[in-house]
Amino acid sequence: MNTRKSNRLLIGMAIVALAIGVTYACKDFLNTTPQGVLNEDALATASGVEGLLIAAYRSLDCSSSSAGSWGCAASNWVWGSVTSGDAHKGSNLGDQEPVNEIETFLWSAGDVQDYLNQKWSQVYDGISRANNALRFLGKVRAEKPGEINDAEANGIRGEAIFLRAHYHFEAYRMWENIPYYTETDVDYKKSNVGVDVIGSLVRDLDTAAALIAQNGVDPLPRNGEVGRATSWTAKAYKGRVYAYAAAKTPVYWDSALTTLRDVQANGPYALETSFDHVWTGFTQFMNGPETILAFQASVRDGEPSGWNSNWGERLNFPHSGSHFGCCGFHQPAMNLVNFYQVDANGLPLAVTTPNWNTTSALGDTNFAGGNLAPVDPRLDWTVGRDNVPYKDWGLHNRSWIRDASYSGPFSPKKNVQENAANAENNVGWQTTQTNDVNIHIFRYADLLLLLAEAEVESPNGSLANALTIVNQIRTRAGQIAQGCGKGFDAKSDSILKATYAACRTDERMAVPLVQAGTIDSLREPWALYRIGLYPSFPTQAYARAAVRYERRLELAMEGQRFFDLRRWGSADTVLANYVAVEKNRIPYLAGVVYATRNHLYPIPALQIELSKVGSQDMLVQNPGW
Amino acid sequence: MNHMFQGTRLFRAVGMTLALALLVWVPAFTQQPVEVSGRVTSQETGTPIQGVTVRVRGSSSSTVTDAGGKYTLTAPADAVLVFSLIGYRGTAQSVGGRSTINVALERAIALLPDVVVTGYTTQRRQDITGAASTVDVQSIDRQSGASALQRLDGRVAGVTIEDGGSPGSRTTIRIRGISSFQNNDPLYIIDGTPLEGRNDSYLNWLNPDDIASVEVLKDASAASIYGSRASNGVVLIETKKGRPGRRQVTLDVTSGVATPVNGYDNILVQNSLDYFNVVKTAYQNAGATVPRHIYGDPNNPSVPDFIWPNDGVGQSCTAAHAATDPNCTKVVDPASYTFTSDGTGLIMPGSPGTNWWKAVFGSGDVRHANLSVSGGGEDNTYLMSFNYLNQQGTAAYNRFQRGGVRVNTAFNVDRVSVGENLSISREQGYGGLDDNGLGEDNIVGKNIFQQPVVPVYDIAGYFASGKAVGLSNLTNPLKIAFSHQNDINTNDRMFGNAFAGLDAGHGFSLKTRFGFNLQQGSFHGFSPITPENSEVTSVNGINENYFLATDWTWSNTLNYVRAFERHSLNVLVGQEANKRTTRFETGQCANLLTDAVSERFIQDALCDPTTKNVSSAGTVSSLLSFFGKADYNYAERYFITLIVRRDGSSRFGASNRWGTFPGVAVGWRLSNEPFFSNSGFFNNVMLRFGYGVTGNQLIPSDRIASQLGGDRGDTFYDIGGGSKTSITPGFKITAIGNPNLKWEEDRSVNGGLDLGFKESRGSISVDVYQRNSNNLLFAPAPPATAGSAAGPIVNIGKMRNNGIDFSIGYKGTIGGSTLWSATLNGSHFTNKLVQIDGTAAFFFPQNIIRDQNPVINQIGYPIGSFYGLVADGYYTDSLDAAQCGDGNPSGQCWADGARPGRIKFVDQPTVLDSINCPAAPGCVGLYRPDGHITSADRKIIGNPFPKFSGGLDLSLRHGDWDVSATFFGSFGNKIFNEEKYWYVFRYFDTNVRKDLLANSAVLDGPCSGTTCPGKLTNANATYPRVDVSDAFSRQFSSYWVESGTYVRLRNLQIGYNVPPAMVRWIPVARIYLQAENLFTITGYSGLDPSLPVPEQFNAVGDARDQYHGIDQGTYPSNRIITIGISATF
Repeated sequence: MNTRKSNRLLIGMAIVALAIGVTYACKDFLNTTPQGVLNEDALATASGVEGLLIAAYRSLDCSSSSAGSWGCAASNWVWGSVTSGDAHKGSNLGDQEPVNEIETFLWSAGDVQDYLNQKWSQVYDGISRANNALRFLGKVRAEKPGEINDAEANGIRGEAIFLRAHYHFEAYRMWENIPYYTETDVDYKKSNVGVDVIGSLVRDLDTAAALIAQNGVDPLPRNGEVGRATSWTAKAYKGRVYAYAAAKTPVYWDSALTTLRDVQANGPYALETSFDHVWTGFTQFMNGPETILAFQASVRDGEPSGWNSNWGERLNFPHSGSHFGCCGFHQPAMNLVNFYQVDANGLPLAVTTPNWNTTSALGDTNFAGGNLAPVDPRLDWTVGRDNVPYKDWGLHNRSWIRDASYSGPFSPKKNVQENAANAENNVGWQTTQTNDVNIHIFRYADLLLLLAEAEVESPNGSLANALTIVNQIRTRAGQIAQGCGKGFDAKSDSILKATYAACRTDERMAVPLVQAGTIDSLREPWALYRIGLYPSFPTQAYARAAVRYERRLELAMEGQRFFDLRRWGSADTVLANYVAVEKNRIPYLAGVVYATRNHLYPIPALQIELSKVGSQDMLVQNPGW
Repeated sequence: MNHMFQGTRLFRAVGMTLALALLVWVPAFTQQPVEVSGRVTSQETGTPIQGVTVRVRGSSSSTVTDAGGKYTLTAPADAVLVFSLIGYRGTAQSVGGRSTINVALERAIALLPDVVVTGYTTQRRQDITGAASTVDVQSIDRQSGASALQRLDGRVAGVTIEDGGSPGSRTTIRIRGISSFQNNDPLYIIDGTPLEGRNDSYLNWLNPDDIASVEVLKDASAASIYGSRASNGVVLIETKKGRPGRRQVTLDVTSGVATPVNGYDNILVQNSLDYFNVVKTAYQNAGATVPRHIYGDPNNPSVPDFIWPNDGVGQSCTAAHAATDPNCTKVVDPASYTFTSDGTGLIMPGSPGTNWWKAVFGSGDVRHANLSVSGGGEDNTYLMSFNYLNQQGTAAYNRFQRGGVRVNTAFNVDRVSVGENLSISREQGYGGLDDNGLGEDNIVGKNIFQQPVVPVYDIAGYFASGKAVGLSNLTNPLKIAFSHQNDINTNDRMFGNAFAGLDAGHGFSLKTRFGFNLQQGSFHGFSPITPENSEVTSVNGINENYFLATDWTWSNTLNYVRAFERHSLNVLVGQEANKRTTRFETGQCANLLTDAVSERFIQDALCDPTTKNVSSAGTVSSLLSFFGKADYNYAERYFITLIVRRDGSSRFGASNRWGTFPGVAVGWRLSNEPFFSNSGFFNNVMLRFGYGVTGNQLIPSDRIASQLGGDRGDTFYDIGGGSKTSITPGFKITAIGNPNLKWEEDRSVNGGLDLGFKESRGSISVDVYQRNSNNLLFAPAPPATAGSAAGPIVNIGKMRNNGIDFSIGYKGTIGGSTLWSATLNGSHFTNKLVQIDGTAAFFFPQNIIRDQNPVINQIGYPIGSFYGLVADGYYTDSLDAAQCGDGNPSGQCWADGARPGRIKFVDQPTVLDSINCPAAPGCVGLYRPDGHITSADRKIIGNPFPKFSGGLDLSLRHGDWDVSATFFGSFGNKIFNEEKYWYVFRYFDTNVRKDLLANSAVLDGPCSGTTCPGKLTNANATYPRVDVSDAFSRQFSSYWVESGTYVRLRNLQIGYNVPPAMVRWIPVARIYLQAENLFTITGYSGLDPSLPVPEQFNAVGDARDQYHGIDQGTYPSNRIITIGISATF
């Protein structure tokens, strides 16, 4: 009995000992491998570094499955357009209310913070992605010599540094007082006081241009991929930076002049032949010679929600009576529409008529097709108006407008795909509003007009050169006008054809404006298109005004104007004049004041709080906020 | 219509239950009860046995033998008495008219002793020196919540329960406050098998009827035997086991009807023209033109015949109307109606006032049945149970059902015992609605704020919604419910263990147990087109996902028990290994060929194959542990328990993965001292003290090293630009690792006092504790300049909880036959952050709500404190509102948006001004206000945790009748009522509170823009001035914070024990009627002050505890009336 008992005890003890032994013997029991994620070694390869660089390009538009929204759209429509007098928030009062406050310069209002934070976070995420590509490149070059050859390494390094400069520039335009981060930084609470942002931008862009030039294929983009920066992209961008720097330090106009003339003379860029090819869903016109830097939107790419499309512009379509369905944001201002009026010579009415906006022959709120006051043909590529064909979607109609009494009867147009372009998405919300129309971040017409400014402002510039550029832009604008197109469905097509008999036989979306080889006018049943060239720029002031007018006409709705107004130092007067008239058409503009503090956007409060070291804010708020 | 159905359901449910009741309650002759007495002795020694439970089989009437082994009780003459005591084989005797029944019990090997399970071993209740609470299982049986955890609400001091009213709602349990920025769910041990973590913390799969005992280990000295994972407390659940003796069959059937405790129709405007008055005033007050959309002439508004979609000018335009109104240009012709996916052909009628609440919410059936068969022989015990529960939501089309089988068996083969506990269950939730669906995105959130003018259906019977100017861009809530009725959430679980034990003699025993927790889950969802919405979705889609989790635990223990003279010793050593692997797969497809339920599959032919998308993810984690415990007492006077456990976790780096968790507890039973007079008032006095360390490792796994990844929608890019449909892979750093991660530690001190008085009829138990959590695991939000990667998780923070738990109970009699008892338990705790990262004074949780952040974690304050501006009434006039200090350019300066009649915020002294301060007005010390309302003026504005919470359990029994009631109260907590976005501030043109217009601020003159001669006339207004342009007042502030105090009658039950003789073939049955949540006393203005914790999980972990007390549109609790029968055969 006792023996049996002892045996059992022994057996039992043995079982336990075995159990303990087995478990403990598995020394690796606690070493688990992360599942479904990559570690640093997996990406410390040539393709890993290239992938990190791709992700840095992807931040050109912030909207992604991980973050982002309208506040950091690549087009800057919130920060550069609705605050500039070019456009209203649109839609109705209740939707995206923070943008109402942004439009009315109430930037300290609580719910603007999230928009500001999006933009700040997006640009610094772009910087972080670029710097990580640089860090991994350094790691691979150090640990695996030969994995990436010198030419490729130079190319990757140059592109990453270029992107880092671009994102910093975006932050500079918004806030001016910003910290500058490079791949060697480990302290992410750097101060924004006394930072030489312009110096850093120029240094990075010079470095980028020099490195990319050594990639073996420059000036062609690396791997033949048109989304990539070339050495000319970096040089052109440097010209842009100088033009902005000149706003505070006019001596930079000379640097801008030299840089931009070089790009004009020796770079690969040219204007598109036709204005409607600039913003387009037609693949054959995309990434033409005018593109310097654009977000390469894609659709039907296997991504389930459409994040890679024109996501940041997704709200900016006509509302529910239209093919697009939603949401009526970013509606052109009446002020902008009026600005497209031309005089008998086809020059902007503003040139000869200072009160062009109040004496408009076009009417305030119902300027629609059929009114034959002469207009710049770019109007109908920029603004959707009732009874005017909307690209090839049929006639724009009041039922396409969400709430005309709130923000007027006009729709944005540049970002809208052509029906024939097959550019729509097939997934996500909403397929009709997501397309593959690239978002221009910097295009050659923009560059030429900055050069024209430099020609006007720099002591070494030439008004004649400025005149040539402005007329070059205008000549291109005079090539083509909005034609009939077709309706988006049978019903809208029949309305189009019933309204305009000419459209029964002519379904061209774009029709030539040039008659008998000169810039002239074209009478369509809905509009009289006319554009003329400036015979001369008699004075610097005249030239300055003409260049600025042209910049507005050419780049309207592209998110540039607010930054331009600030650069020119004319935001106070221009916006005061704008509000004084526009408030009679848009009631909520009553009492709106653009104040000195609106010169710079406020730094998001959250980021100031997160920058604290002890009790010290490392980020210092901009004046007045 | 839906409502009517629910009414029918109610009748059917009640009818069925009554029918069933009649079936079993066949009238029979009632036997007169007789008084039976006797003596129980040991078969071996013949000595009397104290503490034997003598029970009338199938009834709850029972008694316990006294020190002399004697008992007396009243039983029906034909009753069967069951004698049982742990350690002895039970026996049963028929009364058969006898008045004296003596029995001798035979000693048995304790298969599963009926003592308190305190971690790998058991202890007698009175020997426990740590802070442990035993839950009164009978009391929780009186609650009908689907989850066993829901039923604990208010029943255990120091344990708080938060849940919502949706069927299958997730229950969050917190023991003694919050000690971590990460997961704070307790560790569950069910029949010895551990269970923890996000997916396991809700226990909805566990059949509450199977629960035999619930023990809550609250302090580290009790819990540290589970060291590694015990810092959030441990809930030990033992399921019912068979007992030696005759087979016992128990059937429980309940049927009830649930209705919401409150509805928005009590709160919101119900009449369309009343609502228009609000709109009109809002525009007029803003100096804006009142829109003519929908209601026509603002001075003579009317509900239109038709709300014409998309027109925006004359929605009420009919032929007759056109004749009189020049604005009516587009005649609505109902004959032109066409249903299209873009919605252009829809026409909906105007409604004089839709009751949206009633359209969606009504009553729901709750039915449940449980059958169990149990018994045992000399060397075996068995229990099998079968359970089915079906709970309809109070909202249309949502439902929860659960079915399960449990088998618990054990065999003794000489000195070896083997057995298993096995539970197989399936839970299914229909309607795709759970606590994730709070806020704006579901029927309970913003979408119940449809304007009253919107009808439920359009003229063709399709769902109607806000497809017109001014109607907001919401979705019809009934449409949401309808569309998701076939969204099924399924969870299958196989849980249990197999064990073997050896009684090795000489006090030694060995046990090995292999526990398993296998889970399979899936979700099938559908998203419809919404042509009726202002913002149309014209493509539908499906998504489905599958989840697989394998979790096993193998534990081996050696136990030594020795009692000699007056010493008693129990020593345990053991080892345990645990491994958990999970895998998750998800797939989607859009643009279905047909939306028939039978064709909702991801197949090329059934949807647009180019939209197909699939992905998967997984985790692996493991734990290895060694532990030991020694319990010693001398003469049942002096008690000491020593515990040590050493754990290794794969979540931490190799150098930090091992943690040691000791615990010590001592007790002194004064009442067993010779000097203690046993004849006094107190018969039991025990002092307890414990100290221990426990750990927490519940962070996302694999955060030691940095993680990189990518996503087609985030890092991939069409760099080639040519094809427009191809993207190149891209990568980014998604999370930054920290190789130095280590255990979070919780050091807790507990002092307790147990008192028994009046011969143990009364008891008082009080515990005072302090918990210091160190090396808190958390990921501070990095500045955006660091990029978007999730920040590293670090161990720096410190948090402290101080608290007191108490429980007072008394069992008394009135006359001879009426028994009553009352138990009051309560707790108070304070939670305080002591340190964050050594330098930061605060950090924000990472999730924000509608662009604003309502909470902050700040040193010196509780986790998740409410944060915002401080509201101070309303601005009275233009001078009051035009506060500008520095940089006042010229003339009047308006703090952005400040106007008379809007909420006035306190301008806090934030600017250091040693020149003017402290003399200048408003200075506090050397700081003065800056004259602007900015985010710097935000402060802590509320604490979501109650100052006191407690429960009161009352019961009364008289003869065959019993009545019981349970109250729960929460006092002093605050609620951040985020629903004010909608029903006060009318964000997105939603419906508003009924009294908004009547009780809002009024000016005696106009005020629009900066022209504002008007002055405030009613400083005591409840709401700010109704003003469509006011985005200023709705900044998060103390205006949103309300008292969350409430007292609720959780349960009231009346039961009747059908005497055995009434139904010949059923020894006993109990029939009862109960009401849950019958009434609530609260001042809270929202739907329901009882709020679930929102689901907040992200890359840096579990953030739920940073969001307590935020009302984001909660599914209200249910008022359930239930009839039930419990019969034993």
